[in-house]
Amino acid sequence: MVGDRMRGRQAAGMIVILAALAGLPLFVRSDYFLGILSVCFIYGIWATSWDFMSGLTGRENFGHALFIGAGAYTAAFLNGKLGTSPWWGLPAGGLAAGLISLVIGVPTLRLRGPYFALAMLAAATIMQRLTLIFWQYSGGEEGIPGLDPMFETKTAIYYLCLCGFVGITALLLLFARSPWGLILRSIRGDEAASQAAGIDVTFHKIAALVVSACCAGIGGVLYAHYQEAVTPDVFSVTLSITIIIMVYVGGIGTLYGPAVGAVLLALLPELLRGLGQYRLWVYSLVLIFILFFAPGGLIAPLWRRVAAGRP
Amino acid sequence: MLSILVYGAVTSAIYAMLAVGFTLIFGVAGVLNLAHGAFYGLGAYAAYVLTARLGWPLFPAAITAVAAVALFGVAVERWLIRPLRHSALAVLMITIAVGLLFEQAMYLLFGSEARNVPAFINATWGFAGLDIGGQRLLTLVVGAAIILTLWLFIQGTRLGAAILALSQDREGALYVGIPADRIYAVVMAISAAIAAAAGVLTAPFLTVQPTMDLLPMIKAFSIVIVGGLGSIPGSILAALLLGYSETIVAYAISPAWTEIVSLVAVLLTLILRPAGLLGKRAAF
Repeated sequence: MVGDRMRGRQAAGMIVILAALAGLPLFVRSDYFLGILSVCFIYGIWATSWDFMSGLTGRENFGHALFIGAGAYTAAFLNGKLGTSPWWGLPAGGLAAGLISLVIGVPTLRLRGPYFALAMLAAATIMQRLTLIFWQYSGGEEGIPGLDPMFETKTAIYYLCLCGFVGITALLLLFARSPWGLILRSIRGDEAASQAAGIDVTFHKIAALVVSACCAGIGGVLYAHYQEAVTPDVFSVTLSITIIIMVYVGGIGTLYGPAVGAVLLALLPELLRGLGQYRLWVYSLVLIFILFFAPGGLIAPLWRRVAAGRP
Repeated sequence: MLSILVYGAVTSAIYAMLAVGFTLIFGVAGVLNLAHGAFYGLGAYAAYVLTARLGWPLFPAAITAVAAVALFGVAVERWLIRPLRHSALAVLMITIAVGLLFEQAMYLLFGSEARNVPAFINATWGFAGLDIGGQRLLTLVVGAAIILTLWLFIQGTRLGAAILALSQDREGALYVGIPADRIYAVVMAISAAIAAAAGVLTAPFLTVQPTMDLLPMIKAFSIVIVGGLGSIPGSILAALLLGYSETIVAYAISPAWTEIVSLVAVLLTLILRPAGLLGKRAAF
């Protein structure tokens, strides 16, 4: 009974938030603000996809930017250099990110220990260096400019990013609540026990990584076409760590928490003008605060309280 | 040929200094310290402030820089890492936060442009038609001396024996009365000091800027994975291997490809011999 009521409240809350976001362009005419929100939704895609692999299985990925950059640069090569339609970027970017995740995931995820985390961090950084070194192909520091936007108006791009964000979050939440999600959680709980229960843990970890990478790659494609350019910054460690901090603020392993946390945290420096320059400084202090005082995050526990009707 | 031999040795010495500290704190305390690059960077910046800004003579400046970073390492261990030791992930995240704060602090204090640190030795040595900068030779000699001293310290002193005992069996060490927390602080100080020494020594010929901490750290843990997590002889061997392979690749193909060497080495190691070259879980 209580569970039903809680689920009803959660659904009602979700519908209100979604309706508000969908109706927002009717009231807010500022292209600038809609643009900022579009980027916030893209951050939401990245944080949710990070949480799907790392939050559920407990294998931390310190180089999510590798997948984002793979998607973004694939889109840039296709649209900027070969001149194909921007829409081809979405499947191609997702596929490229998925393939790269196999290269890193297959050797490292069968091992215990911090190998996956370290290899991801190294791979993302080295990719960033490579885009600078092979500047003839990747445009070096300037990246690849002059991409076509997906739509002409900012309002249409806003709806595209919102749909991508809601669609990917809903899909990953569906996965997380399915038996597959249960398997992934069991790996986080006790890997040896799930193995003993006959679960091919390596296969499931790699599958989760590929799903997570594809979603991040699609987010990267959206980002590249939103910016109408890509720069090596899409591979940066700063981006990977920003995403992890967003997940921590949201509540690791809950998916909806990181989705909301990412949108709010990406919005924060824009709302507090002048904070933009100190963005990372604020983020790292927020991270230290959360590690010491709120290990469960901020958004997910709050949401659960509200949904349960407690003050 | 000779230049490959000498430059490879210099690169290897730098890598070994970085990797030994990283693997030591992991092997003994189980801390995967992603702020290790920040210690290296802090060493270089401290040398820059003391020499270029305050005009200290080089030698006291270098010693002070290394000591300050060692103290900073102890502070990080005591107040940030120790309270979170119950969760490996929280430790990883807090060290990342320290690294991020380092970058931001240096950016705010000194700006993003590269800084110059005066060289200890300006002369260049020439032999067999090869000119090599004195500072690079000094890095090689001091690096080798530091690692040798560390080896003698761990093998020959009571404190070294306690460190070794903790790395081999934490509970056993606690039973015989070894104060684990104090040893962790000592190991953190050693690890930070060696990283800072590498930063001070290489500052004159490598770039000193806020983002300098990342690539050396990536190299350090590539080496540590190739050599075997927690094994100091393994990381020295792997540092030589990676230092020379990068130098050979730079000469034979092009300097552009050197960055790929460590990534390929890591992936190959994890596919072929995940434990690393020299096993694991033994500090020496």
